[in-house]
Amino acid sequence: MTTLTGRRPRWGRIGLIVYMVAAFVYLFTPVVLVIVFGFNDNRGRFNFTWVGFTWDHWRNVFFGETFGGVPGVFDALVSSLRLAFLSSLGATALGTFIALALVRYRFKGRSAANVALFLPMATPEVVMGSSLLALFIALRFPLGFPSLLVAHILFNISYVVVTVKARLQGFDRHLEEAAMDLYANEWETFRRVTLPMIMPGVFAAFLLGFALSFDDFIISNFVAGPTEVTFPLWIWGAAQRGIPPEVNVLGTLVFLTTVSLMLANILWQRRRA
Amino acid sequence: MTTTAAVTGRRRWVPYLLMAPGGLWLLIFYFVPIARLVEVSLQSGIFPRYRFTWEVGNYLRLFTDFLPHLQRSLLYGLGATLIGLLIAYPLAYGIAFRGGRYKNLLLVLLLMPFLMPFLLRTLSWRIILADNGPVVEALRTVGLLGADGRLLATGVAVVAGITYNFLPFTTLPIYVSLEKIDRSLIEAANDLYASPVVAFWKVTFPLSMPGVVAGSLLTGIPAIGDYVNAELLGTPEQYMLGNVIQSRFLRVLDYPSAAALSFSLMLAILLILIPYIRATGTEDLVA
Amino acid sequence: MRSVPEELVTTAGIEAVPAVRLDHVTKKFGDFTAVDDISLEVGENRFFALLGPSGCGKTTTLRIIGGFEEPTAGVVYLHGDDVTGLKPYRRPVNTVFQSYALFPHLTVWENVAFGLRRRRFDDAEIRRRVAEMLELVQLTGRENQKPGQLSGGQQQRVALARALINHPRVLLLDEPLGALDLKLRKEMQIELKRIQQEVGITFIHVTHDQEEAMTMADTIAVMNHGRIERLGSPTEIYEDPKTEFTASFLGASNLMEVQVVDGSAGRVALPGGDELRVPAGRLPAGERKAKVGVRPEKIRLVEPGSAVQGNTVTGRVVDASFIGVSTHYLVKTAPGQEMAVTVQNLEDHRFRPGDDVVCVWNPEHTFVVR
Repeated sequence: MTTLTGRRPRWGRIGLIVYMVAAFVYLFTPVVLVIVFGFNDNRGRFNFTWVGFTWDHWRNVFFGETFGGVPGVFDALVSSLRLAFLSSLGATALGTFIALALVRYRFKGRSAANVALFLPMATPEVVMGSSLLALFIALRFPLGFPSLLVAHILFNISYVVVTVKARLQGFDRHLEEAAMDLYANEWETFRRVTLPMIMPGVFAAFLLGFALSFDDFIISNFVAGPTEVTFPLWIWGAAQRGIPPEVNVLGTLVFLTTVSLMLANILWQRRRA
Repeated sequence: MTTTAAVTGRRRWVPYLLMAPGGLWLLIFYFVPIARLVEVSLQSGIFPRYRFTWEVGNYLRLFTDFLPHLQRSLLYGLGATLIGLLIAYPLAYGIAFRGGRYKNLLLVLLLMPFLMPFLLRTLSWRIILADNGPVVEALRTVGLLGADGRLLATGVAVVAGITYNFLPFTTLPIYVSLEKIDRSLIEAANDLYASPVVAFWKVTFPLSMPGVVAGSLLTGIPAIGDYVNAELLGTPEQYMLGNVIQSRFLRVLDYPSAAALSFSLMLAILLILIPYIRATGTEDLVA
Repeated sequence: MRSVPEELVTTAGIEAVPAVRLDHVTKKFGDFTAVDDISLEVGENRFFALLGPSGCGKTTTLRIIGGFEEPTAGVVYLHGDDVTGLKPYRRPVNTVFQSYALFPHLTVWENVAFGLRRRRFDDAEIRRRVAEMLELVQLTGRENQKPGQLSGGQQQRVALARALINHPRVLLLDEPLGALDLKLRKEMQIELKRIQQEVGITFIHVTHDQEEAMTMADTIAVMNHGRIERLGSPTEIYEDPKTEFTASFLGASNLMEVQVVDGSAGRVALPGGDELRVPAGRLPAGERKAKVGVRPEKIRLVEPGSAVQGNTVTGRVVDASFIGVSTHYLVKTAPGQEMAVTVQNLEDHRFRPGDDVVCVWNPEHTFVVR
């Protein structure tokens, strides 16, 4: 890429750089506000105007009577983590198999399968959530953690397939033939060559699924039932009554954790390459 | 021809075996519910006794009772998509063509805000657009808003929230297709007497169209179906179809009309999608 | 068309049990016939080349021998055993892939040891043989590097070592030098030939480069449209290509349509009436027309009226280009008919465009093509 050195800077180029700075400021402003308002010494139930700086909410989150400082929020976090982990694990397994079939084999119904996998991604979440709820009610399927798990695996599958497929398509088919040529049978070929090669893609798919599940509100809101409360559902409920700044603190913690995980994953992938 | 898989007779069932678990999941929990949605949408009666009666009237209510919601869904959804494209294109262009060795860092920064929980970053817009907040103050000063003009609880706030929340879905596909463009094509255009501006409009932009189309679909579809932004940043005056579906299903318990609205939304999106699928084929959809 | 005539097959079949035998092998991909009823024998310890343009079926033939494609019809024998339905990992053959197909997540050492490990050799034996093999291909010291850290030539040698370490009875090479630059390719041609002679394994080598095939192979099969056009030693197929495709794919040729005057005596006539002689027996019996050819470097140019023996054709020089080791002439011999002539620069005298000349060559160098 050309750089600015040795050339007369052009106005278009400078304008673009200024624009990009502005765009990133725009992208980060809401995030910064969530973090900052975790330090707000707010009055009353609402936390939308800046009053003054305080560590109280952070102290309350870690040293309050329950972790999180607000009743119910700890359980909601645990519920979300459990749901995200299990649903992403399930979707990663199912989706990886599908991706293998789609990339490695030519079979009847393959393009129909591609459309069928694309449709869930093109379906608005209200439609998916409402249709699933209607089914669960008709089947008398228990609403709560089981129905959430089913729904989250469902909406994650397509994203896993896309992610793993991209990785599979990028690698030379001859590698598997070479393994078979060198006396590895089908299982050994998968275990020694295919799986290690697509592992970064599988892991990325797992992380994506985890993030999508952890942050899902709309579909969860339909199928959670009256008793199971995930973190986004808890925030939603709190937002009706007025959100305590402790939620901002927890949001900040979630943000910092996921950012560190994302950066760690990038560094790990880079070292492998 | 040399890359064709050597599928011999007894291995023909392998792909089906691999597809089976996930495929069944999709069939039972996606296609069956959508089909049932159609069935429910044609029922009539009073909760909890609904019977299948070919009640087409449920669909007609979309154009009578819920016409304003339909209009707002389209207006806000498409508006947010358009504004999103305008914001995203230069951003994607900047990362792809001027990112240099910071390209990966910029991509990480682009995605990072979306690791903040969705509802919290949406609620942040209440602070930004608050009546005594800096944005409103500024617009009042320059006269774009009257002295008692406000942004929060208006369509502007809803569109702002939707635009922001779906921005990565708009930007990434555009970035990908810009990144794919062979740089020598632009040099060739310059060599053939095209100024940078002409080269952009005649070469770069047309070649990035697949990304623009994919980005608008990925943004437009969830945007039209969204109800969270209208709920958190608007008032019932700004409610969209999603809000109606949500409340009919979860509060009013009027399943037939909710199902009819839900399926109409799905149909509308399929109508938008089909020409796109026809044009690009199925292979690129999930890739 | 016909299947390969018996006499062609026997030129390659040397021992009683050939290393590789293909018996009427056909491979179709849908409507496309990639390999069309090929029968072929490759003897023990041969360096055998499958030569042809892209899409001629040479790679598919190789993949059928390796077990990566199952033939639509026909039987594959390795050392007399029918292996047609056998998986690649059950065949005593190994492959060097065009793209090398080195496992990027494994080190050089692990790549080379891959086959022995799958066959459950004990660790000490594996270590000994890998060290030996890396020495043979001059990669000692690179054991712990990943393939991505090696140059193209080094990757090529890893691919070779990874295959050879298994002591295959046949080694298959799919355009193994295609990705290397010209200089390295020339070096590797010699190197590969040396290794083949050292290890005494049958090599089957797929290439589209005629010079590469002729440098290395002792037997060449020229393929086109899924069939074998010509099979024989490099000299045989160059001097007597027998088919028009082989004549033009292997080097340059001057081809001429002729009338047969006396087939058994090898006398033919050009459209202008000039008579040429062809070695007896090369003309197909009972045909009235034929196509004959001669290589440009077999022709001498002399001034009209010189006393000469052999086949002669008169003409006028239309183009002369000096290219160092030789001079290339283009001689117009009749309306619409030109002859390419390559003359070594032994004498000072050079013809110029416009000069009248006579092209002269030994009748023995005239071949007949179908």
